[in-house]
Amino acid sequence: MTDKDFNYPPLDESEFGLLFDAAKKGAPELDAEFLTRLQSQALEAMPQELMVGFTLKKLSLFGQISDVFAQFGGWPAGAGLAMAGAFGVLIGISPPDVVLDATTAYFQTESLNDLVGLGDETEFYWEDV
Amino acid sequence: MASDISQNQQDAELLMRFSKGDCAAAKALTSRLAPVVFAQAFRMLGDRTEAEDVTQESLLRLWKIAPDWDANRAKITTWLYRVTSNLCIDRLRKSNRNSGDEVPELADDTPGVDCKLQITARAQALQHALQTLPGRQRQAMILRHIEDLSNPEISDIMEVSVEAVESLVSRGKRALAITLAPQKKALGLEND
Repeated sequence: MTDKDFNYPPLDESEFGLLFDAAKKGAPELDAEFLTRLQSQALEAMPQELMVGFTLKKLSLFGQISDVFAQFGGWPAGAGLAMAGAFGVLIGISPPDVVLDATTAYFQTESLNDLVGLGDETEFYWEDV
Repeated sequence: MASDISQNQQDAELLMRFSKGDCAAAKALTSRLAPVVFAQAFRMLGDRTEAEDVTQESLLRLWKIAPDWDANRAKITTWLYRVTSNLCIDRLRKSNRNSGDEVPELADDTPGVDCKLQITARAQALQHALQTLPGRQRQAMILRHIEDLSNPEISDIMEVSVEAVESLVSRGKRALAITLAPQKKALGLEND
């Protein structure tokens, strides 16, 4: 059921016109904070092209690191450093006689075993667990 | 009409720039379209928070289709009106509220209200009366008489025939005329 009262004469065209004009003038206004939020969402929803911009920024950071690396001699210097490191590891694993002579003379020992406290009489015992 | 076409071209241009990553275009387009969408949603739903949700959703859908937008296909505002209308109708259906007869009565003893107050009172009364109409009638009435769209445009938005739009508007107007009749005096309509 409805509460509509049919005793009143319905609105005519001119009265409707006044109501619609009022509705147009009194349009609901958007909250400024909400509009700012919508603008932020629009920027977040920005398609691929902007993402490319972000990638370029990362690449430019990589470029800056490359520039610094170049100031220290670039790739030739890096390769030389790597070779020197590998050579050092090789000497450590299998030292040539020259290195042994120099080491024993400096520490006044007969061999490297004496240097680390392992004499010729030292025996190893292995315990069975 | 010419300014309408020009505005549509500007919107299309801004949307194209948006899809190419232009931040200024994104902000400008939001500022242009958000108030239109919000006003329509608010008139349909009668609730600020819900209207904001619908505005947000409508614009997000626009941003999503921006890269594939065909400027020759449709006007951006027409497309937005349609999306907004559908979102509002969905909400009205879910909440099952479109037939309330609870139009708040305005006090009869409001003599001497100034013009601004009277405009506000009329707008509020119409807003409340619109809420009593079924969703489709309300939608047609808002688009026709408040947004000032043509019947063919409304038929495009509502995806119905022009005749159906005319029928919806006619029935909506008849219902509003009866609903608002007791408030004529309070709204200062009788003496105008």
